[in-house]
Amino acid sequence: MTDDTEVRDGLFYSKEHEWARIEGGLVVVGITDYAQHSLHEITYVELPEVGSDITAGDECGLIESMKASSEVFSPVSGTVIEVNTDLESSPEAVNESPYDDGWMFKVRPSNLDAELDSLMSAEEYRDYIDSL
Amino acid sequence: MVDTLNRTHLFEWHKSHGDVVPFAGWEMPVRYSDIREEHMAVREAVGVFDTTHMSRFRISGHDAVDFLQTLTTNNVRKLKPNGGHYSTCLNERGGTKDDLMLYRVGDDEFIWVTNAANGPKIWAHIQEHAARFDVKVEDKSREIVMIAVQGPKALALLSKLAGEDVSALPRFTCNPLTLAGEDCFLCRTGYTGEDGGEILLLDTPYDPTGIKKAVRFWEAILEQGAEFGVKPCGLGARDSTRLEAGFVLYGHELDEDTSPIEARIPYAVKFKVEPHYIGYDVVRRHKKEGVKKTRIGLVMIDRGVPRPDYPIILGGEKIGVVTSGGMSPLLKKGIALGYVPPNTVDVGDIVEVDIRGRHRKAEVTEWPFYDTSRYGATRSSE
Repeated sequence: MTDDTEVRDGLFYSKEHEWARIEGGLVVVGITDYAQHSLHEITYVELPEVGSDITAGDECGLIESMKASSEVFSPVSGTVIEVNTDLESSPEAVNESPYDDGWMFKVRPSNLDAELDSLMSAEEYRDYIDSL
Repeated sequence: MVDTLNRTHLFEWHKSHGDVVPFAGWEMPVRYSDIREEHMAVREAVGVFDTTHMSRFRISGHDAVDFLQTLTTNNVRKLKPNGGHYSTCLNERGGTKDDLMLYRVGDDEFIWVTNAANGPKIWAHIQEHAARFDVKVEDKSREIVMIAVQGPKALALLSKLAGEDVSALPRFTCNPLTLAGEDCFLCRTGYTGEDGGEILLLDTPYDPTGIKKAVRFWEAILEQGAEFGVKPCGLGARDSTRLEAGFVLYGHELDEDTSPIEARIPYAVKFKVEPHYIGYDVVRRHKKEGVKKTRIGLVMIDRGVPRPDYPIILGGEKIGVVTSGGMSPLLKKGIALGYVPPNTVDVGDIVEVDIRGRHRKAEVTEWPFYDTSRYGATRSSE
């Protein structure tokens, strides 16, 4: 992990490098700074459909970089209630602002408490990426 | 495989300036800054690539022409001294062992430049057949550094390095020249679609002296090129520029089961040649009687990025497969090359690409994918 890799406190993290933020009963999902940095030039983001039900750990999107395509896995289960449509025209926001402008979708969670237990805290995620 | 990866003379420079990754048995830079910026430097200014990982074989002697005509598909006899051409080397079934550039650097002396991944295979093939001819074959890969200088400002930069105007040197020729004070061949060729050249920096062994010389030469290109907006470019931009130009890449559009006729590179294949090369009868049959698959270009209409092995769909049926695909920095759309049976689609037809279960529309096109009046070697001069 380089010194300028940001791991934001207060978020929950998956081993696949997604983050989840609890926001008024909803869960906002994106990919981490570590993930965007290893993908480099992000050219396209495929998001789940609003209204669709997604399951924690399942593929629910796709990120295309110049060199590769990578799946996005949802860290939580529930119903997608909003997606970040700005990423259609500005996928680079995921590179530039992975925790803010680069958010991907919001979920109304169906099994949050149990699933949060299997995610990492910021401190645990820092240790995890240091171990990679 | 735990084989040690090879490194070019410029490895330490790449390591300290860019992201180095394993590629075809080599540790090579994939990017120095941002693949899109490097790509655009090639399209709008000038980019330089270390291509020393490719193999270079010297073929010389009385039978050099007959020997090379036995192994390669373009017309070797027609190649004048200091001329060069693109060619292929086939197996007995007409499948492609490799594609290559062949340069005639003397009456009976040639340099064969081949893909990094195929170097050992082609060297074995050359040695096996050389025994029947009066030729000398040498692997010069470790003694010649190869650097591509590509883009609309490439000839201005190369002229500055040469101290003379090189822009009149015809395309595809291979010219002995002094560049930045060093003995080189300047080949008027490339793999980006843009004008420019590929430099063979001669007498540069892979040892401390040669490495120092190579780094000095590379840095001279970057220093002299600053006024032209030069950027060092990695393999990422090498792949994205060649794809946008519609050039085939071995292992994707070409392999041992694909003929150059199927790949639609007919300019690499000649039939009025003597002796007939290995695979001649098969490719002549492909040319006369037709092929079972043919290469097409695709530009995405829907959003999404096509990638190798994605199915090409027509009327709900899989008709073919993508062999190379990615996002075009110029078009800002997904583009692809792929194979379908002949006569299933025409240019302008709409097909679908199965992107991980999602069917997305794409138009069948010709290549290059960019507007050739604005980009590429034949662009209208400003």
